[in-house]
Amino acid sequence: MMTQQNKNSPAEANLLEIRDLSVTLGGNTILDQVNMEVKHGHIHALIGPNGAGKTTLIRSIMGGMPHKGTIRFLFSDTGRIGYVPQLLEFDHSVPITVFDFISLMLQRVPLFLSRRRNKRERIKKILGATHCQHLIDRLIGGLSGGEFRRVLLAQALSPAPELLLLDEPASNVDEHGARQFEKMIVQLKEDHGHSILMVGHDIQMMLRVADRVTAINRTVTFDGSPDELKDPGRIASLFGLNVSTDVR
Amino acid sequence: MECIYEIISGWAVAGYLPAIFEHTFMIRGLLAALIIGPLLGAMGTVVVTKKMSFFTQTIGNAAMSGVAIGLLFGEPIEGTYAGLYGFCLIVALLMTFVKNRSRLANDTIIGVVLAQVLGIGIILMIVVTSQFNIHQVEAILFGSLITLTDMDLITLAIASVVVGMIFICSFNRIMLGGFNPILAKSRGLNPVFLEYVFVMLMTIVVVASLKMIGSLLVLVLVVVPAAGAQNIVRNLRQFVWVSVLFSTVSTTVGLLLSGFLPVPSGAVIVLVSSILFYGSLLLKPVLGRAGVSQGEI
Repeated sequence: MMTQQNKNSPAEANLLEIRDLSVTLGGNTILDQVNMEVKHGHIHALIGPNGAGKTTLIRSIMGGMPHKGTIRFLFSDTGRIGYVPQLLEFDHSVPITVFDFISLMLQRVPLFLSRRRNKRERIKKILGATHCQHLIDRLIGGLSGGEFRRVLLAQALSPAPELLLLDEPASNVDEHGARQFEKMIVQLKEDHGHSILMVGHDIQMMLRVADRVTAINRTVTFDGSPDELKDPGRIASLFGLNVSTDVR
Repeated sequence: MECIYEIISGWAVAGYLPAIFEHTFMIRGLLAALIIGPLLGAMGTVVVTKKMSFFTQTIGNAAMSGVAIGLLFGEPIEGTYAGLYGFCLIVALLMTFVKNRSRLANDTIIGVVLAQVLGIGIILMIVVTSQFNIHQVEAILFGSLITLTDMDLITLAIASVVVGMIFICSFNRIMLGGFNPILAKSRGLNPVFLEYVFVMLMTIVVVASLKMIGSLLVLVLVVVPAAGAQNIVRNLRQFVWVSVLFSTVSTTVGLLLSGFLPVPSGAVIVLVSSILFYGSLLLKPVLGRAGVSQGEI
């Protein structure tokens, strides 16, 4: 069951509440009795190994997965969720520019029948939110991982979301690009008060920026402050992983 | 229809069109080419972007079974519409359903169905007609202008208008829905519904164009104009329009040439389409993109 309520958004109040969420696909239990909350103005990291059910949880939150339990949004305004996907499924040699990609989301008139000139300034402004307006004429198939993330983040920020959902934000991005993206996420929270739910398995990056961390492996295995996970043995014991949590 | 035929054959008699268009079957072919060319070109851009090429081929292969089923239920050989559209739509919807409900990769599902529907079709055809009529099979596989009837043309026109309107109205949403289902959801779209819509539109167009192009060659006309356009365009808008141009030139010029050559129309159309593709490949260094779209159209 998914519900949406309008409430004021005081700091530390819940924005998203998930209660007893279970998902079963083809007889396999993908998520079992997941309980978690995301608070207003927080960066919340959802971590877990591959196959832990992170993507299924995102799909459930976005209403694209049949589930048991309750997902409750306590939005105070538009109730919009901005989503930054890990990847886009398309033939990367196809000539779709950043301009085309954003235009597809902004208009009902088929792209091939509309005039480009009228929308250019509007799209530049959207891209400006993540300082990537110079990429407007680049083909999306030709962008670097870092550039691609910024374009995806820009589209997620327009119109302004109440919850920003980032799926594997550090994947396919080099160290420099990942650091830049990190700064941008922190800036979005600090300057604009965005509430962000980040999903991924790059634990170092998550622990650097998150206010709160939930770890899942079919069910919730940890929920608390990132400081509690700075002991490398803690994560290894939670996930059976051999990881370093050298947080720089 | 007779009125239209008379006007066009009058142009041929007067020398405005090649003399071959004095024949009614060539006029039917020309009209079919002008209807189906632009539509296949435009829809081909989505097929290429969403990597659905072999899905199209599977629908083409299913036509053989569709014709046999139509015959089984008493439809005439020159117009097995219910069998064709019915079976091809069922195959298309089933493949999409299985893809959305299982963990099998899309090309695995297509690979399983692709050969099955052709094999079953040939067996059914022999069982139903009690003989192996190579001309019937050839017409389905490669297309035949001679067998194109007025009813085929009317069906093609109606199907193209309906499909064309829905496609134009939902182009942006279909394109966006294919990029990432959760992204589409975040934009208020229903990606699964949009996928079913596009699959049905594509199936109707493919089936409607089979008599002219043939089930084996229809894939080429869906994919090659879009692939050729890709070589020389710089954005999505140009991509659609150049693909439409290539596809329309392929169908009309191919049809014209098939009037002079003793070969199936579909084969010549494919040949013209391929020449345009290789031509675009040669022009790529001059007109092609280098990762940056320069200016606007």
